[in-house]
Order: sequence, then structure tokens, then C-alpha cells
Amino acid sequence: MNPYWDCGFCEFFRIFFSRAFDFLTGVPIEAASDEIQFGTLAAVALSCGLLGPFLVLKRMTMFANSLSHTILLGIVLAFLFASSLWGGEMFSPSTLMLGSLAAAFLTAAFTEGLVKFFRLQEDASIGLVFSALFALGILLVTLYTRDVHLSVEAIMGNADALQPGDFKFASLLAALNLSVLIVFYRQLKISAFDRQYASALGVPASFFHFLLLFLSSAVSVGAFRAVGVLLVLVFLTGPYLTARLFSSRLSRLLWISPALGIFASGIGVALSRHALSAFGLPLSTGGVVVCAIGLIYGIGIFLKLIRRGKLQPCPKENASPS
Amino acid sequence: MSLLDFFTDPVLRGPTWGTLFMCIASSLMGGVLFLKRRCLLGESLSHAAYPGIVAGVSLFALLFPEHDESAFFGMLAGAFATSFLGFKAIEWMEKKEKVRSDAALCFVLALFFGIGTVAASAMQSSLPSWRTKIHALMFGQAATMSDFHIALYAMLTSAVALFLFFGFRHLQAVLFDSDYAKTAGLPVRWIDWAIFWLFLFALILGIRSVGIVLMSGMAIAPAIAARQFTDRLQSFFCLSALFGALSGLAGNIISVMGTIALSKSGERLTLPTGPSIILIGAAIALLSLLFAPKRGWAFRICRIAAFRFRCLQENVLKAMWKKESYLFNEFQEIHRVVPLMLHAILWRLKQGGWIVKAKEQYILTADGRRKAASIVRLHRLWELYLASELGVSHEKIHLNAEEMEHILTPDIEERLTRLLANPKVDPHSQPIPERSFL
Repeated sequence: MNPYWDCGFCEFFRIFFSRAFDFLTGVPIEAASDEIQFGTLAAVALSCGLLGPFLVLKRMTMFANSLSHTILLGIVLAFLFASSLWGGEMFSPSTLMLGSLAAAFLTAAFTEGLVKFFRLQEDASIGLVFSALFALGILLVTLYTRDVHLSVEAIMGNADALQPGDFKFASLLAALNLSVLIVFYRQLKISAFDRQYASALGVPASFFHFLLLFLSSAVSVGAFRAVGVLLVLVFLTGPYLTARLFSSRLSRLLWISPALGIFASGIGVALSRHALSAFGLPLSTGGVVVCAIGLIYGIGIFLKLIRRGKLQPCPKENASPS
Repeated sequence: MSLLDFFTDPVLRGPTWGTLFMCIASSLMGGVLFLKRRCLLGESLSHAAYPGIVAGVSLFALLFPEHDESAFFGMLAGAFATSFLGFKAIEWMEKKEKVRSDAALCFVLALFFGIGTVAASAMQSSLPSWRTKIHALMFGQAATMSDFHIALYAMLTSAVALFLFFGFRHLQAVLFDSDYAKTAGLPVRWIDWAIFWLFLFALILGIRSVGIVLMSGMAIAPAIAARQFTDRLQSFFCLSALFGALSGLAGNIISVMGTIALSKSGERLTLPTGPSIILIGAAIALLSLLFAPKRGWAFRICRIAAFRFRCLQENVLKAMWKKESYLFNEFQEIHRVVPLMLHAILWRLKQGGWIVKAKEQYILTADGRRKAASIVRLHRLWELYLASELGVSHEKIHLNAEEMEHILTPDIEERLTRLLANPKVDPHSQPIPERSFL
């Protein structure tokens, strides 16, 4: 049934590429669950790899962290709203998009409002807002859906329960991110590096700030089922940090980080399949991909150290007068 | 079920006391981190504890399958190990790789959590019952705490309290002026070390009742609320502990009551403790941000409104000093304010005995004349000071004086008078009214 049943790490890629070749040459095939997983994860990695550099440059990653928490409240609110108006489902794309918009708006409004009007220091404001909104989200989910597992699943993700619909949504998001980036690359770049200069040029920096918030919130939603709201943060930061070890040009970073993310997704899915066939261990695929990204970062640092020549024994450096 | 039952009942008292102690400890240590502006460190460290919890529990559950308590210690040991590792990783990324602080925090948080997720999925088949127990730690489950936990949390809380009590002076010096502390020969490294380890202790023990995901909020919210009420470090810590205790108690009670209410309607659903505690804590913080005296938003808004109102009153008086009587419409032409506001101002001035209304005309009383003269005097004194002492050009002095006339105190007026040798004429050759005593 599943062509990947009981196959190892290398075999996975052999089968995958031959099936991909078949698919491209027009042989009709039905997508296997592993392919759906890989596709969804790769789409998430693509969106995250494109957004991540901007978020890190604008020092907004902790903000992305709060977004990834508050998204739960956003989705619950959108679900309550949609189900009462037109009977929307919890995980239908329209509800999810509405939820991500609501989450981005709520989080931004509260966090910045506390800093501006209540004179709170920024780190405390971020921490207070996301934990409170997330707590509210968990309570609402528990009360309305009567499902304890949903909130755990939201955090941990469950890549094994992915469906073709999830893949469609994730690739739609990736397409959205890609097109926004292509259309507004210059404006995003200028407003990320120098907000004042951007406003002097007439670029509405606040608009792009919110656009970035909305996109990252949408990506969190897209990743909601695949990797969970927390692990998506590794997708956002990890590939960028790795790419940053070797390049400092934004345009190059924007190529490397999605590529690394997609590469890690492939490795992760294959590894998780390998663990299942070889040891009978059902590992969480999202988690394995995250570990792969972490591993790639580690390798990157190792390579960089070798390049700098720091790994050769160098006794003088450690001896410092105290 | 009365409130007292929560403290004495053998089943209920475990969660109540446990949560209480844990909340006090974490809000005290959270206060320290709040003052160091490293609130978000707690978020990363509590998530970094997750793989350690999973690994520790699996290790002990496999080695000693009979002893539940040993698995608890395994959990603590593992959590410490990985949290510490996470902290070192963050430090290393910030210092050696020059990664921005927020990116390092975020990356380590999620990476460690991912490793934990993989480990948890690996134990799914071998230790299914432990896996559900670990899942409960995600959002906190105070319900299963026993007297043993009470003792543990009480010990921790007293350790934190003793550290703050005896190390208070040193802590104060390190928090507010670490350079001074270094030159004064205080053991800054040891204090930082103690802060870090106590914070980690509080964080990891707190995970039991509040949960991994929300633990950082528990450390932040009481500190935010406490900061609103005081500028003194002692009272800051006391209030922070008080707010922490309050949210812990109320959150626990809500969670227990909610679970009972849900079970009455026939659902097997537990209301997790963590979110309830956090929501109470956040509500306290929000209310303090809004209504605390002095620093609260409402208070600040009122003070600003009162000042604006006083300025408008003084402007009206000043205008009346220049022309004998005014009609209501004439006021409206000069001062562009809402008619209702103008009515309020005039009413207030009448109450103060500064103006009277004769037919349709408003006229200054003797008191009002003196008051208005003193405002005009302040205005012109300040103009003269700006022009003669600071050398500001004549076109620019009027607007500045328009604002300063409301702010200058009698004491400053006295000094200005002496400095300018009791002048009679201002830079625009207008007479400066004599000083009058109201």
C-alpha cells in the first residue's frame, strides 16, 4: 500500500526520486503519507526560510514566539465566530486565515499597547501578553471542544495525521509568502534595515511591519498541524542562523535558508521512516526535522570553526592573566 | 466545600499548599529577572527542561519500575541538566557567535523542545503511562500533589526567601549598579550564580503546577503588578510574593471548582491548573497597570487631564485680565474649546471666587484680578529671563512662556525676581505686574 513501507534511509530517497520522476513524466500516482508529510514540511520550511531572515533582522523572533502561542486563541475565536455565522469548520482554510489575522492583530495591539500606554518594559510586555492570551486559548479550547488533546497537539504537532488538505493549505501559504517577497522585496529589505530611511523614501514601514506579523502568524497556523506552534520557531530561526554563518548578503541568505529548511525536512522524514522500519520506533516527524535543523546548525558551526582554523591545538589562546 | 477545606482536606491540601509555595518562589525569582530585564529567559529555560524531563523519567522508570517517587527525582535531575545546557547554549550563541539575543533564546527554546518531542514520541510505545503523565506537565496538573511535594516546595520557598533576606544588600548592589558592586569587592559572580540556580530551581519545580508552556508567565506577571505599586526593592519583593500567592491560590481553586462543575455535567475533563493561575496573575497585573496609584494608567490620565484643565482656567483668567468683561461667545472665539468644557471652566472659576457673572457678562473679582496678574507676571518674567539671560530671540520667547507660566512655582518666581533684579518691563515693553500674595 504505502510504497515506503519498511524501507531504510537511503532507500527512501531512491523511491522518492523515482516516484517524483514518474509524477513529473505524467504517470498518475497517489500521494503516500510520507510524501504528504514531506510536502507539508517543505512548504512550511520554504515560508519560514523566507520570513525568518526578516524576523531576525528586525529583532522580532520573540514576537514570533508570542504569535505562535497566541495563534491558539486566534483560531478558537475565529472558530467561534465562523461556526456561529456560517458554520465554518475548525480547520477549514478560511477559519485558519481569520484566526491568524486575529492573532497577529491581538498580539501586536496588546504587546505594543502595554509598552506605549502603560510604560511597561518590552520583554515583560511580550511575556505577559503571550502567556495570558495562550492561557485563555487553552481554557477556551478545553471548554468548547471538550478535547484535552487538541491543545497538546497544537503545541507538539502531529505530522502523522496530516492530510492532503493540510498540504494544500501549506503550499498555498508558501506561494503567498513567495509572491509577497518577490513583489515587496525592496520595501521589506529597506524597512528591515533602516526604518527611518524607509519612511523618508515614502515606504509605509508600519504597513510592512504588520504584513510581516501577519505572514508569520499565518505560517504558524500553517505549521499548526504539521510541527506544532513551538517547533515552527526552529524553522524560522535555525536555517537563517546556519546560513548566516557563511554569508551576510540578504539576497543570498534568502536562497540558502529555505533550501536548508527543505533539505532538513527531507532528511527528517526519511530518518523518521527509517526509525520506524529499522527499530519499530514511531518518532514524531516534526520533532525529527527540528533535530535535523539543529544538527545542520551544529555542522555549520563545526565547518566554520575548521575554516577559521580554531580547531587546531592552540594552547596560547586559553592562557590569560587573571 | 468551604475555603478552609482547601488547606486542610488531605486530598485538596496538597495542590493548594504546593501551588502556593511554588508561586511565591517563582514570583520572587521572577522579580529578580524582571529587574535584570531578562524576563524571556524563563520562557527558554522552562522549554529547555522538556527533553530532560522526558529522558529522566524514562531512565528512572526503566531502572526502578516500582518506585514512582524516584521517577520524580529523575524528572528533576533531567530537567536541571537540559535547562542548564540550554542556558549555556544561549550564552555561547550570544557571546561567541554574536547571535542576537532574541534569536538565540528563540532557537534554543524551540530546538530543545523539538528534541523533547522526539524523545517523548520514542517512549510512546515502551512507557505509555508515563507519556500521559508528562503530557499533563505541559499545562500543569496540581491535582496529584501530595504532602511530600508540599515539603519540597516549602523548602525551596524558604531557600529563596532566605537568599533574598540575607543577601538583600548585595543583591541590591548587583541589580542596580553592578560596576559599583564589582569595585566594592562584592562577590558578583557568586550572586549571579545563586540568582541563576535559584531561578532555575523555582522554574523547574513550578512546572509541576503551572506547566512548561506557561511557566514563564508565572515568573513575570506578579513582578509587573508589584512594580506598579512601589519603587523600593523590599516592598517590590513582598508585593510580588503576595501577588504570586494570590494568583496561585485563586487559580488552583478555580481549577478544582471548574473540574467539579464539569464532572457534574457528566464530562471527564480536567480544567488544567496552569492557565487558570496565569489568567488570575495576568488579571492582577493588568488591573495594577490600569489602576495603581501614581504609575497606573488611569491615574496618569487623570493627572494629565487635571493639568490641562488648570492650564485652560489660567488662560481664561489671563485673557480676562486684559479686557474687563467678556460675553460667553467672546470666550468661545478666543479659546477654541468645546462649549461644554468652557462652561465647566467658567463654573470652576466662579466656584473659586475669581469671577462673577453679571447679566451676560463675566467680570473678574478682586481675587481673580490678583490671580490673573500673578500668571501674567510669571509669563513676562519668563520671557525676560529667556531674552536677557539665555539670549533667545524675541520672536521665540512667547510660545515657550505660554507653557512655562503654568509650571513655574512660587519658589522659582522668587529666584527669577532676584536674578533679574525685580524688573518692571518685559522684552515686549509691557509692564510686569507687581508681585502679589494671594
